[in-house]
Amino acid sequence: MHKNSDSQPVYIHAAAALGPHGDSTRAERRVLHGDPPPLELKALVKTVVGVSLRQASHLVELAAVGSQLCIKRLSCPVPENTAVYLGTGLAEVRKNEAVFRQVMPPGPGLASPFDFINAANNMAAFYVAKLGNLRARNLTVTQGEYSFEWALHLAAADLRAGEYRQALVGGVDENSRPRVGHLLRIALRDDQPMGEGSGWLYLSVAAEQACGELIEVQYAARNMDAVQVLHAALRTWQQPGESLTLLPGLRIEPAEIQRLAQALPDLRVQDYLGLCGGFHTAAAFGIAALFDAPVTPGLFVHLNRDASGRAMFCAVRVYQT
Amino acid sequence: MSAIQIRGLGLVSSYGIGVACAVEGMRAGRTGITPLTLFSLPFQNQIQVNQFDHAPFPPGSACATATMEAVAQEALSEARLDADALRDAALVVGTSSFLFAGEADYRRTLADTGAAVMPPLPPPGQVALRVAGQLGIEGPVLTLTTACSSSANALLVAAALLRRGAARRALVIGVEGLSAVALSGFHSLLLLDPEGCRPFDAGRRGMQIGEAVGAVLLETGDDDGSGDRLLGGANLCDTHHMTSATPDGSAMRSVMEMALADAGLQPADVAVIKAHGTGSLDNDTAEAAAMRALFGASLPPFTGIKRYLGHTLGACGAVELAAFLGCLRAGFVPPTAGFTQPDSALRITPLTGLRPAPKGAAMLNFFGFGGNYASLLIAHD
Repeated sequence: MHKNSDSQPVYIHAAAALGPHGDSTRAERRVLHGDPPPLELKALVKTVVGVSLRQASHLVELAAVGSQLCIKRLSCPVPENTAVYLGTGLAEVRKNEAVFRQVMPPGPGLASPFDFINAANNMAAFYVAKLGNLRARNLTVTQGEYSFEWALHLAAADLRAGEYRQALVGGVDENSRPRVGHLLRIALRDDQPMGEGSGWLYLSVAAEQACGELIEVQYAARNMDAVQVLHAALRTWQQPGESLTLLPGLRIEPAEIQRLAQALPDLRVQDYLGLCGGFHTAAAFGIAALFDAPVTPGLFVHLNRDASGRAMFCAVRVYQT
Repeated sequence: MSAIQIRGLGLVSSYGIGVACAVEGMRAGRTGITPLTLFSLPFQNQIQVNQFDHAPFPPGSACATATMEAVAQEALSEARLDADALRDAALVVGTSSFLFAGEADYRRTLADTGAAVMPPLPPPGQVALRVAGQLGIEGPVLTLTTACSSSANALLVAAALLRRGAARRALVIGVEGLSAVALSGFHSLLLLDPEGCRPFDAGRRGMQIGEAVGAVLLETGDDDGSGDRLLGGANLCDTHHMTSATPDGSAMRSVMEMALADAGLQPADVAVIKAHGTGSLDNDTAEAAAMRALFGASLPPFTGIKRYLGHTLGACGAVELAAFLGCLRAGFVPPTAGFTQPDSALRITPLTGLRPAPKGAAMLNFFGFGGNYASLLIAHD
């Protein structure tokens, strides 16, 4: 087995962010002024994937379209031994609710076989692998706000350890209606639209033709000081003349963003949540959308906290292309 | 590479609380099949289940966290560690989902108030965070949901975190409760055997679903070749079909080969196999083909243990490792309960009698929906 060192760079070769309007390019992005209307993906599935996924769930459709967009943006075919890491905070919310209503009283008591199969929380990752013809590691991580971050962490660690040379990493979540029911599953402020989306990165240890670099995915202690993290980012990773942009995640309050901006006068702040709404794996959308053409090169640090107050951050570099 | 030591085990199963009672039940050849009393189903008399005694635990979804804490305490106790030892540990949970917990709360509300109120259906990660908080775990917390290989993958991820220095210890918990939705779904798919699980048997007709919670406490240590160790393992996606394996078993064989390579072992080093052995027609056929192809005429003794514990779905990685290793420690390999008639099409026969635990590596296989396969290699000395 080829073993890389911990300092093995991990490069980003392609990215795709599918947003709540079915948007996947910078020109299609729109700021949300409330909850997005229900997203119908059947036509987009047929266009992007090339086949109809008739029995597939909405979450599977989101994952299929997002991952295939990412794959199609690559300049070469994806090798079969590409590992898949999918993060999802709520997983198959709609299908789980559907089978729950079918089975639990006063329902009829029997589950639809297709609904039951599609309620399996790893079915989205299966479709990503099947559609991409990827016979390799396939993990679904379901850890709230950090579902995508942990998927990315595991992927980067496996690449650095030499277990795989390339990986497809995504964060996918769907919303559910009505909003009042959805808010029982995810805490959102009154002014935060509920979002959904599918963000994907294709990672490789090969430097040629990379469009960016995954620098670090770090888990920090509960009492972590975000200012210290960003100072460390500046010291360790920032190249001369390179801009540093903070991507505040779902659980970073406006007051903390303001404090960070005051402590670091040259820090830029980019609010991607306004484009995708609030969902557990919004980080995947935010990071993947950095690669929307035309790109803004620089160093980007995504910072988030989970429900227990623990912090996690991801640092990526977007190359000038 | 530093070894991954298995320092402690914990189990809540239909045999009771603790690894020891499951081991004694399996030594005695008693199946863990129980009546289903948690809820009623229209097809209740057509299935067999393994339900654990809920009396010692709080009702509703709190049962999930209480059982997870119970198995964690058993694992800690075996390792002679106190709760402080978990402060900087990682917690990696494997489950298919916590739908069963949502169902439990729904039934309670319905019984107490008569109101059918749809519960929020707790996201898996939320439960893991709650348990981490109660156990004082400050290290990484993550949950794997890869169907029936969930907690086997949790073991692999935990081992990777330890090898890469993300934590010194890792507590892996596999958790699954009986769920009306799951039972109904498998019944709709005609995957439940009315006579219970009969792994690799000519008359097998499907699965027997169980509930259980298992814990495995892992730790890095010097590789002096002693103690119980996780030697390696692998995960692989079989993209043949959502719910059935590549019929010739080639994907299952691949994951076993990858696991052997990861552990630095050859097929001849494997002394015993705990098969996935669901008792379903297709899965057992593919698994038998995979074992035949990989081991040929030197196939080591293999057994299936799902009639004892039930198929505990996302929990079976941690649950079956705890029970199987418990048996090895007690000096025996359990026979394949439910197996009576060889299937000539499979051309291999599982263990039918209690056998002394052999020296060498044990392979444990887990194959789930969504083609998600995991194979583990452990050593018991």
